[in-house]
Amino acid sequence: RAQTSFNWKMTNAYGPNAPFYVVGPGSPTDFIKKVDTMSGGRLKIQHFAAGELIPAMEGFDAVAAGTVETNSANSYFWSGKVFAAQYFTTVPFGMSFQGHMAWLYHGGGLDLWQEVYKPFNMVAFPMNNTGVQMTGWFRKEVTSVEDLKGLRMRIPGLAGKVYGQLGVDARLLPGGEIFPALERGVIDAAEFVGPYQDKRLGLQKAAKFYHTTGWHEPATTGELAISLPTWEKLPADLKEMVKVASMACVLESLTWSEAVNGEALVELVEKDGVTAKPLPDAVIARLKEVTADTLATEAAKDPLTKKVHDSYMGFKKKHDKWAKLSEGAFQSAALGS
Amino acid sequence: MPILAKLAEQLDRVVELFGRLAAWIGVGLVLLVAGNVLVRYFLHTGAIWLQELEWHLVAPIALFGMSYALLNGEAIRVDGLYQRFPPKLRATIDIVSSILMVIVALIVVKLSIPFVLQSYNMGEGSPNPDGLTHRFLLKALIPLGFAVLACQAMAETLKAALRFFPSSR
Amino acid sequence: MSPNEILAILTVVSFFTMLMIGVPVAVGLAVSGFVFGYIGFGPLLFNLLPARIFGVVSNYTLLAIPLFVFMGVMLEKSKLAEELLDVVGHLSGSMRGGMGVAIVLVGVLMGASTGIVGATIVTLGLLTLPALLRRGYSKSLACGTICASGTLGQIIPPSLILLLLADILGESVGTMFAAAVFPGLILAGLYVIYIFAIAYFYPDRAPAISAEERAALPRRELYGKLFKVVLPPLLLVVAVLGAIIGGVAAPTEAASMGALGAILVCAATGKLSYGLLRDAARATLSIAGMVFLILILSQVFGLAFRGLGGEKLVEHMFNWAPGGVTGSLIFLMVLLFILGCFLEWIEISYIAVPLFLPYFIANDVNLVWLGTLICVNLQTSFLTPPFGWALFFLKGVAPPGVTTSDIYRGVVPFVLLQAVGIAIVFLFPEVATWLPDAIGW
Ligand code: NA
Ligand code: NA
Repeated sequence: RAQTSFNWKMTNAYGPNAPFYVVGPGSPTDFIKKVDTMSGGRLKIQHFAAGELIPAMEGFDAVAAGTVETNSANSYFWSGKVFAAQYFTTVPFGMSFQGHMAWLYHGGGLDLWQEVYKPFNMVAFPMNNTGVQMTGWFRKEVTSVEDLKGLRMRIPGLAGKVYGQLGVDARLLPGGEIFPALERGVIDAAEFVGPYQDKRLGLQKAAKFYHTTGWHEPATTGELAISLPTWEKLPADLKEMVKVASMACVLESLTWSEAVNGEALVELVEKDGVTAKPLPDAVIARLKEVTADTLATEAAKDPLTKKVHDSYMGFKKKHDKWAKLSEGAFQSAALGS
Repeated sequence: MPILAKLAEQLDRVVELFGRLAAWIGVGLVLLVAGNVLVRYFLHTGAIWLQELEWHLVAPIALFGMSYALLNGEAIRVDGLYQRFPPKLRATIDIVSSILMVIVALIVVKLSIPFVLQSYNMGEGSPNPDGLTHRFLLKALIPLGFAVLACQAMAETLKAALRFFPSSR
Repeated sequence: MSPNEILAILTVVSFFTMLMIGVPVAVGLAVSGFVFGYIGFGPLLFNLLPARIFGVVSNYTLLAIPLFVFMGVMLEKSKLAEELLDVVGHLSGSMRGGMGVAIVLVGVLMGASTGIVGATIVTLGLLTLPALLRRGYSKSLACGTICASGTLGQIIPPSLILLLLADILGESVGTMFAAAVFPGLILAGLYVIYIFAIAYFYPDRAPAISAEERAALPRRELYGKLFKVVLPPLLLVVAVLGAIIGGVAAPTEAASMGALGAILVCAATGKLSYGLLRDAARATLSIAGMVFLILILSQVFGLAFRGLGGEKLVEHMFNWAPGGVTGSLIFLMVLLFILGCFLEWIEISYIAVPLFLPYFIANDVNLVWLGTLICVNLQTSFLTPPFGWALFFLKGVAPPGVTTSDIYRGVVPFVLLQAVGIAIVFLFPEVATWLPDAIGW
C-alpha cells in the first residue's frame, strides 16, 4: 500500500453554496468529504466554486491542461468542444435514470466516455443525477403545436435547436435574468431544472404554468472529470475510493432530489397556485419527431459522435421494451394514468 | 533624442488604430443589442448567433479599450503624495510603473497563447448548435489586446524617460 | 499563520504601498499579484489567468458597461445635460437653498438615466459651480452638494455597482435595481434636508437668487424652455426603466434602449452628426476601457490572493468580529468603509465582497439587503477623503479659487449623511426589501 498522500484542487461549474451542485447530500463537496474519510486523509481535495479560481465554464480546459486536477460540471457544457460529450449527461427523449445509468455502467457508456475524453488527457465518472427535469415555466398554457410558434423561450443548447424548428424563438438569458425577463413578459417561457431548484429562483412568481415532462433532460448526469496523469499517479486503493464515492454520490444526489422535488411540487401547486401538467400528446409527438431527426443529423457529422450515438440508441432499443413492461407498467398501475 | 519621441509616437499610433476600431465596435454593440431587443419584441424571432455576437463584441471593446484609456490619460492613480513629489521622482515612478506594465502585458501574452491554441486544437465552437464557431479567434483577442497594451506601456515608458531628461528633447 | 497566508498579506500590503506612492492602480494589482503569487505557488497556477480574463471579456452582464457609458457620453457631448441644468437652476432660484436642492434633483435625474460618476460630476461641476459661487453659496457647501449628488447615480438604478453586485451575489439584476430605489431616494432626501437646514440657520451660505435676475427671464418663456430641455433626458429614463417594466428588454439589454434613445434624441434635436457619434464612441471606449483595465488586471491579484489561500485570512478576521451575524455585519460595514478610503469600488466588489459572502450565506442573511448596504457603502467611498474619485473629478473642473481643502471640508457632512443612510437601511431592512417583494422581483 502506497503511503503517499495527494492534494487536489476541484473547480466547479456552479456558484458558491448552490444546493445539489455544490453542497448537500451527494454533492461535489460531499464527495470530497467521503473520499477524505475513506482514505484516512490521504486524498485531500480543495473545492473552488465557479468564479473563485476560474469562471464557471473554464473547468474542462483547466483539467485538460493539467492545471487543475479535477472539475465538477455537466458534460453537455462541452458539446462546443467535442459534440459527443452531449450524450453522457442525458439525451433528449433518451432514457430515464435507470436506463441511462445502466448504459453508462453496464452498456459500454462509461468506456466510451473515457474514449471521448482521452484526447483531452482526462478521465470522467458520473457524480450526480437530477432525475427527470421539467419542461419549464410558461406564462400561458401550451395546448397545441401552434402555441409554440413565436413563443420566446429561454432554452439553451440542443433543445433550443429542436424547439427552434417548431417556431420557438430560443433565447440564451443567463440564470440571473430569467426571473425579471419572465416576470415582465420579455420571454414567454423558461427552462431551468426542477421543482426544488426552480422554487429557489422564485420562478413560480413569474409564470403559473409548469409543464412536464423534461423530454430534453430525462436523466441529467453530473460529471467528475480528472486529469489523466493525475489519475494514473493514484494507487489502486485510492482509485477505487474515488469510483465508489462517485457512485455513492450518484445515488445519494438522485434520492435527495426525489425527496425535495416531491415536497417542493406540492407547495408550488397548493401554496403558489401553480398548474403543473404534462405537455399535450400532440406537442410531445412532434417534439419527438424533430428530436430524432436533429440527433441523427448532428450524429452524422463526426465518426466519434456516431459511435456514441449508435451505442446509446442500440442500448435504448433493447432497454425500452423492458422499461415499458416493468417500470412503465408498474408506474401506470400504481399511480394511474 | 528625437528618435525616442518618434518611436513613442509610432507606438501611440498602433494603440490609436485599434482604439478607433473598437470605438466603432461600441456603436455596433449599441445597434446590435437594441436591434435584437426590438426584433424579438415586435417579430418574436431572432438568431442564436446574433445573441452570442452581443458578448463577443464586448471582448474587443474591453481588450483594446484598456490601452486606449491609457492613451487618453485615464490611468487611475492615487495622486495625493505623487502630486507633491518633485518632477524627477514622478518621472521615475512613471518609468518604473510603465516598464512593469510592459512586463505584465508580455507575460499575459505568453500565458494566453496556449489558451488560444487549446481552443484551436479542439475546434471549439458554441455549445449551442446554431451558435458562433471558431471560438479561438475570440480568445486570440486576449494576446492581441495585451500586445497592444505592451505597445502603449512602451510608449509611456519613452515619454516618461523624455520627461526625466528634458534637455535631450 | 502559514507562509502562504503571510504572502497573501504581503500581496495586499505591497499593493497599498504602490498605490500610495502613485503607481497606477492597474499596475499595482498585476505586479503585487504576479510577484507574491509566484513566490507562493510558482508558475503553474498562472496558467489559469487567461481563463479568468476570458471570463471577464465574455461576461454577458458586463455588456451594460459600454452601453450605459455610451448613453451618458452622448447626453454630455450633445450638451443636452448642460441646457437642462441651466433651466432647472433658474427655476429653483426663488427660494433659499433652492439652487442647491435643484442640483440634488438633477443628480437624481441624471442618476436614473445613467450613473457614470465622472460624467455627472464633471458636468455638474462645470456648469453649476461657477453659478453657485456667483450667487454667494459657500464654496464647501457647493462642492459637497455637487460631489454627493454626482454619486447618487451609483445607487439609483441603473448602476454599475448594482450590476456587478448582482453578478457577485447571484441575485437578479432586477431585484438589486428595485432594492436600491428607496435607499437612493432616502439619501437624496437627506441631502435636501441638510441643505435647507443650512440655508435656514446660515442664510449667507445658501442665499436665494436675486429678483432682477429672475425677472429677466419671464415665467412663460422659462416653462417653454423647461419642456424642451427636460423632455429628452426624461425620455431616456423612460426608455431604460420602461423597457424593463414594460417587458421589452431584460435588465442588461435595457441599457441598449437608453443608448439607442440617446442617438435618437440627438437626431431629433438636430445634433446628431458623424463627428458627434465618433467623439461619443471614442469617449465611451476610453471610459469603458478604464473600467475593464482594472477589472482585467484585478484578475491577477484575485488569482494570487485565492491561490495563496487569502480567503482564510478573511475568515480569521471574522473571528475578531464581535457578536454573531449583527456584529459581523457592522464589522463588514466598517471594513468596507475603510477599504473604500483607499480602494476603488470595482476591486472591493470583486475581491473583498466574495470573500465575506460565504459567511453571510451560511448564516441566512438576506442577500438583497446585504447587497444594498454594500452599495450605499461603496457609493460613500467615492466621497471619502483623501482618495474619493468624486473629489478628483470636481477638482479637475473647479474654478481657480476653489481649493482641495474646500472640497474636503464640503464632503465631510455628506459622508456623515451617508452613514445615516446606511444606518437607516441597516435598522429598517424593509427599505431595501419592500419594493422587490412588492413588485415580485
Ligand atoms: Na444610476
Ligand atoms: Na474612496
